[in-house]
Amino acid sequence: MAELFLFEKQTQQNLKKDRMAAKPATTSTTYSPIDPIHKTRPPIFSNSDVDWLRPDSRSFHQCRPAFFRTGAVNSAAGSAYAEFGNTKVIVSVFGPRESKKAMMYSDIGRLNCNVSYTTFATPVRGQGSDHKEFSSMLHKALEGAIILETFPKTTVDVFALVLESGGSDLPVVISCASVALADAGIMMYDLVASVSVSCLGKNLLIDPVSEEESSQDGSLMIACMPSRYEVTQLTVTGEWSTPNFNEAMQLCLDASAKLGKIMRSCLKEAASDVQE
Amino acid sequence: MGLPNASEDLSAEMEVDAFRRLFPLRYFERHLSESIRPDARPLGRARDTTISLGAVASADGSALAKIGSTTMLAAIKMEVMTPSLESPDEGCVSIDFHMPPICSPIVRPGRPAEAAPVVAKQLSDTILSSGMINLKELSLVSGKAAWMAYLDIYCLDADGALFDAALLSAVAAFSHLQIPVVSLDYDGKIVMVTEEQKEENLENQPVNKDKRKLTLSSIPFSLTCILHKNYILADPTAEEESIMETLVTLVLDSSCQLVSLYKPGGPVLAYTSAVQDCIALTRQRVKELQDILDEAISGMEID
Repeated sequence: MAELFLFEKQTQQNLKKDRMAAKPATTSTTYSPIDPIHKTRPPIFSNSDVDWLRPDSRSFHQCRPAFFRTGAVNSAAGSAYAEFGNTKVIVSVFGPRESKKAMMYSDIGRLNCNVSYTTFATPVRGQGSDHKEFSSMLHKALEGAIILETFPKTTVDVFALVLESGGSDLPVVISCASVALADAGIMMYDLVASVSVSCLGKNLLIDPVSEEESSQDGSLMIACMPSRYEVTQLTVTGEWSTPNFNEAMQLCLDASAKLGKIMRSCLKEAASDVQE
Repeated sequence: MGLPNASEDLSAEMEVDAFRRLFPLRYFERHLSESIRPDARPLGRARDTTISLGAVASADGSALAKIGSTTMLAAIKMEVMTPSLESPDEGCVSIDFHMPPICSPIVRPGRPAEAAPVVAKQLSDTILSSGMINLKELSLVSGKAAWMAYLDIYCLDADGALFDAALLSAVAAFSHLQIPVVSLDYDGKIVMVTEEQKEENLENQPVNKDKRKLTLSSIPFSLTCILHKNYILADPTAEEESIMETLVTLVLDSSCQLVSLYKPGGPVLAYTSAVQDCIALTRQRVKELQDILDEAISGMEID
């Protein structure tokens, strides 16, 4: 358990909402106990530290093992569960169903996305709600892959819940969502596979975990349709040199192609199970 | 009132699925008169139930409980608080129940489900009044520091009997809970004790070395039943709950003492005999659930 707290940011106050406590909380401030030794985190890389092992002892260009399973939620039209190391997400797809009354008439279908975190997803309680932008990023990553013309006047809802955040959350949510959409039978041009790369000093780390993400100098995330070789979303933040950037992009595209195969085989397995 | 008769006439020629959608109540009553339910269960039988402990690594205790396809994920995070003046030797338990939009087509983001606050209140009443947790065990330094246990339960798939599944996941999470070892530093703050420090001899000794697990006395278990005419249906699915509206939820503890009985209205009045029948069903169910929980816990110990 102790490792979990190693890299915790100390100063961040957690968001507290009104809760039903056993007794009226006279003191509303609680805090997580913190490991005093690792208060100040040592720098992960010194200049020529090439022998560094990643926290989960992967090599720099190696992804975590990916696991997908469809049909995680029975009450949804389609759903998928994805687990990449400690990152665990569930995505449910509802619809196509009637759009909200207030919506204008539309010849093509609408896509509605929402990403939320459980309160226990992050090492410090309630920090997951910091990612408000993920909903619209998920929307933009999927929009281009879905054939919206096939469900005019209606809405498809894609809801994601991050059960545990272990790094690279958004790429996992995007990949998982596209498997869930396929499970729901929504027409798509291709599955969307998404991978991110973190830049730490001179090194490129693919599929970073939370610790690596929190100390990164730059990050690059690609969502793409592997069989069409088309990118639906590319996000770059931080400091990048051109050769680094090119290398990172190639890394991501190669990894997405592999990830796409894993997603496809998961769907094939599910389909053959139904037939039997 | 031509409808019920009309449905009877039509039932012979209509497809089963269409009949089920058009006349759900008659469809169910036909099954009930044969003492069977559409999912092939006898009236008094609950769905298959599983518990897996330790589903969330970022929490101090967690459990995933499934009753049929109703799925609940409960996790506990321990934080430190200053105890109140009235009870300096007691910690606190805070319980919350969430229904995220993934769990059901009825719930949309920004529009929370009606059922969620009801279940949350029921859960926190049941767990705190059952005496399962001794709040004194959550004390660290009298008057200075105590544990605040944040229990959050997420419904991942809503298919009826939400309270039963939520309570089961909650008690399972408490039995999986491992309290972190902490010590008091010079500023009077509680800090984690790491593995390396345990081996070294430290001047600030851990304050809770032998209090890593809570002693759970009298664990509460529950069963929800539907009352419809003279029938009692144990552990209803979402479909059954939407068609037949009278629910009774009973909570018994492991020694079969009644903790709570909850009947939120509904068109059917519960006669004493019906309540007694429900209690008998719940008694059986408590034994089943106790066995399932014990098995999950012993499975953990082997690992």
